[in-house]
Amino acid sequence: MSFKPVLTFITPFLPNTVQETTETFWLWLFLGRLHPLVVHFPIGLLCVAFVLELFDWRRKSNELQAGIKALVGIGAGSAVLAAIFGLFLINFEDYGGDTVSLHQWTGLTTMALSLAAVWALRSQKQQLFRGLLGITVLGVTVAGHYGALLTHGETYLTEVLPFNKSSKNEPSGSTNFTFASNGQPLNEQQLNELNVEVRSILAHNCYSCHGEAKTKGELRLDKKEFIFKGGEHGAIIVAGKPEKSEIIRRITLPVGHKEAMPTKGKRLSEKEVATLEFWIKQGAPWPNGPEKSIYRIAALEPRLPALPPATAEATQPIDRFVNAYFQQNKISWKGVVDDRTYIRRVYLDVIGLLPTPEAIQAFETDARPNKRKLLVTSLLNQNENYAQHWLTFWNDALRNDYSGTGYITGGRFDITKWLYASLKSNKPYNQFVKELISPTKESEGFIKGIKWRGTINASQRTEMQAAQNVAQVFLGLNLKCASCHDSFISDWKLEDAYAFANIFADSTLEIHRCDKPTGKMAGRRLLFKELGEIKESPVTAERLKELADFLVQPKDGRLYRTLVNRVWAQLMGRGIVEPVDMMDNAPWSQDLLDYLAYDFVQNGHDIKNLLYNILTSKTYQLPSIGIKDAGLLTSNDFVFQGMVRRRMSAEQFADAISSAFYPMYADSVMALKRLPETIKSEIPFPRASLVINDPFMTALGRPNRETVSTSRNSQANLLQALELTNGTKFNSTLKNGAIKWQAKYRTSDLLVKELYRKSLGRDPQPKELSVAQKIVGTKPSVEGIQDLVWAIALHPEFQLIY
Amino acid sequence: MTNKWNRREFLQKTSAATLAAMAASAPLPSLLSSCTKKIGQTNGTADTVILLWMAGGMAHTETFDPKRYTPFEKGMEGNRVLSTFKSHPTVLDGIHFSEGLQSIGKVMDKGTLIRSYVAADLGHILHSRHQYNWHTCYEPPQTVAAPHIGAWIAKELGPKNPVIPAFIDIGQRFTVGEAEELKAFHTAGFLGNEFGPFFIPDPSQGLESVRPPVGMDVKRFERRNQLYNDLISNSAFGEFGSDYQKESLRRSMEQAYMLLNSPESKAFNLSTEPKESFDIYNTGRFGLGCLLARRLTEQGARFISVTTEYEPFFGWDTHENGHTRLVDMKKMIDGPIAQLIKDLDKSGHLDRTLIILASEFSRDMMVEGRPDAKVQEQVNQPEILSDMKFYGMHRHFTDGCSVLMFGGGIKRGFAYGKTADERPCKTIENPIKIDGLHQTIYHALGIPPDTQYEIEKRPFYTTPDGKGKAVMDLFA
Repeated sequence: MSFKPVLTFITPFLPNTVQETTETFWLWLFLGRLHPLVVHFPIGLLCVAFVLELFDWRRKSNELQAGIKALVGIGAGSAVLAAIFGLFLINFEDYGGDTVSLHQWTGLTTMALSLAAVWALRSQKQQLFRGLLGITVLGVTVAGHYGALLTHGETYLTEVLPFNKSSKNEPSGSTNFTFASNGQPLNEQQLNELNVEVRSILAHNCYSCHGEAKTKGELRLDKKEFIFKGGEHGAIIVAGKPEKSEIIRRITLPVGHKEAMPTKGKRLSEKEVATLEFWIKQGAPWPNGPEKSIYRIAALEPRLPALPPATAEATQPIDRFVNAYFQQNKISWKGVVDDRTYIRRVYLDVIGLLPTPEAIQAFETDARPNKRKLLVTSLLNQNENYAQHWLTFWNDALRNDYSGTGYITGGRFDITKWLYASLKSNKPYNQFVKELISPTKESEGFIKGIKWRGTINASQRTEMQAAQNVAQVFLGLNLKCASCHDSFISDWKLEDAYAFANIFADSTLEIHRCDKPTGKMAGRRLLFKELGEIKESPVTAERLKELADFLVQPKDGRLYRTLVNRVWAQLMGRGIVEPVDMMDNAPWSQDLLDYLAYDFVQNGHDIKNLLYNILTSKTYQLPSIGIKDAGLLTSNDFVFQGMVRRRMSAEQFADAISSAFYPMYADSVMALKRLPETIKSEIPFPRASLVINDPFMTALGRPNRETVSTSRNSQANLLQALELTNGTKFNSTLKNGAIKWQAKYRTSDLLVKELYRKSLGRDPQPKELSVAQKIVGTKPSVEGIQDLVWAIALHPEFQLIY
Repeated sequence: MTNKWNRREFLQKTSAATLAAMAASAPLPSLLSSCTKKIGQTNGTADTVILLWMAGGMAHTETFDPKRYTPFEKGMEGNRVLSTFKSHPTVLDGIHFSEGLQSIGKVMDKGTLIRSYVAADLGHILHSRHQYNWHTCYEPPQTVAAPHIGAWIAKELGPKNPVIPAFIDIGQRFTVGEAEELKAFHTAGFLGNEFGPFFIPDPSQGLESVRPPVGMDVKRFERRNQLYNDLISNSAFGEFGSDYQKESLRRSMEQAYMLLNSPESKAFNLSTEPKESFDIYNTGRFGLGCLLARRLTEQGARFISVTTEYEPFFGWDTHENGHTRLVDMKKMIDGPIAQLIKDLDKSGHLDRTLIILASEFSRDMMVEGRPDAKVQEQVNQPEILSDMKFYGMHRHFTDGCSVLMFGGGIKRGFAYGKTADERPCKTIENPIKIDGLHQTIYHALGIPPDTQYEIEKRPFYTTPDGKGKAVMDLFA
């Protein structure tokens, strides 16, 4: 819809000068701006008239007719006025967009309808009048709704609905700034806070178009000098006078106005606008000296928090920290889970397998008071099983796979043998990291990246991949923005990313901004200069050795916090910090995070020791918590109350089927060439972590490991359900297994019970037994067995770690 | 999150109901017509997309943009050869197609020929890398997994018919060379598996993917599903309350059951197609893929890709015997594609179905890459043609490729862009790049050009940086 027809429609009523002069006559503008005032007359009057009309109709009287007539008359008159003013507003000020058109046409229609209603009333066509008035009121509602969207924003109404609650991202900076000092001059600290607040608002709303990478309207808002310089139309700030400042005018224009800012995305909140106005009114102060970051930045150095007192509930350190957190959040301890739940959990978490019925029984009848600790120790001592389970996690994180892009052109190397051996021997984590960053032939695959044939975008050269991946996996920070241009989500600059990448480079890198050479050569330095200074050496290996040594120093608290948080997230379903790759985000307990990291370093960087401490804590043994919406998992208001229920990984699921029923995989699909030669003697059956990726694994969430992947989606979906329901891989396993089971178990009673014990670790309840027996038949049939196993495998009780 | 399309569908249903109620009370002016969408309909000019993928690099001069024909002679100079086929007139004035494509030539009054697609310059050529670029609009490698265009569409619009997967990929097997590279872009990437492709490698086996597992009759399938529901309702596990994993699992299982048991799933069964029609399509897996695409479109598919299948040195990837092999390739595509257009036009579906035929790049006998930026040669092509096997377009050419578009709001009987009539036969008018092509498709579907998601706190747009403009000249 265009406005052209409207213009021609009203042109006869306007002075000819309108379209020629650049300055619009003030009166038209003034009348146009009266539109929002005038529209409320028809809205109110016509609605009331309709209500009165309904009264009369119900009571079959006409005593209100005089009033109705007056109301409709004035209502229709004001509707005409509102429509005219509205047309002024649209045509003389820059408006555009679908909502404007909708508002315009619904408004005009409503006006016409109200006139028709007046006419019907005057011609005494009561039925018609009532109908028309009803429709008019509907029209007023629709037109009014679109009008409201224009003034208040598209999301004004919907954002408060329950399912849209989390959609509004509050800036992560100091949002609690208040205008406490109204009236008095601000002190230095307040000035600084105000400044941080202002920069946060600009960063979150404006940088993406008005920054270094993209500079629309020649305006940059990411640095003091640029902000005060203004853009192609001149200054945007008049100190002390918000009402004369272009920036305020732009951000307060109604949505749909062509000059309204931001043009894309959400408009600024009222609080944000008020903050900017306040700042300009204060004279737009900008303190000199180094600027405080507007982003939350986590401390680098390690910290040992004071251990909270022991209580009856909490004796070991993790529990004592959690106890302090619980007290603060008024959460009370619940009882620990029963033996059966516990053994299933620790089996899946330590070695990735289901406990056998025999193991469960032995554990349940074990009377030793410290049997849970003994169980954890014995599982951690199963070095091969442990390695085969944790291999999956580290393959994802180090994007190591047995097949994938790059191998075909010799542009990729795998590190499987090294990784498996490192996990099997529980290599201290500092050593583990060192060998990945300053590698041997066996472990170089991680920093060598993936090289595709052809020319590559500068921000994806293998040295930059190394910088990004080392930063993400080991330091929990995102360098991806900054490898193309200065980041607008953190303080990392293009030069920082290049200087870090340059450590991995054989010849000095030239800095490219958005894939264009800048002519500047990169420096060579760590992301955190506190950790040390890289010596200029022409030999890459020497620099990498130095880099590795610097990064694993105890004073690099960040490295260890990142690791303990990842392990915690694996066991608890949610990190202390989330997302686990953004370690600058606030943890739900800083003390717990700091303690775990500190203790980890003190105890020889021993991952198994860390696992032991968590798995034997009372905290880990709390009943699991269900989360209604996956989004809540990473939200800032997450409150820890215990392990979050998780779904088995693709590998855990396949292994569970293999161990409880029938092997999913044959030896031949294992990545034997990439695995240690002894592997066949170290496995209980071909474990899913060792097989080459296939559609079944992919459907269940195994990533394609082209990029680093540090968490998996726990949610089921249709493609997955289809793969499980009629996929050939799964169904053929079930069928082959059913044949074996039929031969072994002659009665359905025996068979069903054994199946329940092996897969769910318990006996079937009487009801379950009868349902199951009905399917299997008194004399088990292959089909019946197959169908029963299928139903159990898809049962949440089987698929969840609870 | 999970019930996105449920909610959308719900809103569409309810808003449609509201409007229907309003319309019943009075003749409502058409001013709200943009809101009165039918379920599954988009804001754009198309609801369904069919991508006909000419995998391996289809030479424009041998297909839809023929140049001067030079017959083979032993000892001839390769540089003299622009086309190795005669050309034939199409129904469009002045537009000729290479021999073997006469059937498609006859339906060109229903579509648009684009002669000016310019593929990206990615250096030393690797087919799968260019295919990755074509299907995702991003150049690999990327810091996050880039979604296939079909996944974007599935994410933004959801399925058109709830029981037909939103993104269906027909014809590609992943057991071929470069399979890993192919897998890297046949994915929903960061959008999540939910929006990923539903693979039907062999269209004649399409039914297998949507019916109860082999050896299981419908009765048993239903009994099994009943058992599953009985076991869950009789289990003590219910006391754990609801959480999203459990809920999503149950919901997905219900959807799968619905699909496998739905009447629409019969569309996957090609054996119910009348023989006469089946035979026209049956030129092999590609032809039957076109037939399956037609049947699924009629039942409400959202995005379907049908490929001639990529396998290094097969199909359109002619490193030798280019002329001879193209005779077969054209036989494979000409009849089925023309029939697909005709059938959908006749049934009225073409109006809201956008069909695109494209390839990752073109080929030339002499130039590898583009004339002004030649790249490392990969094909041993002698300057003097001593043998018929050297007669054909064997090098990879990125500077002028043909694309066809039909339906979905695209102009009928239109030609856009031009390539030079002499070597190098590169684009000389109205070049279109991949982001323009993608935005054109998104525009037809009513997906806004600045659609993006935040991943790792960074915006990721459908086309890099949200750039790329739909080519409005292509729309009717």
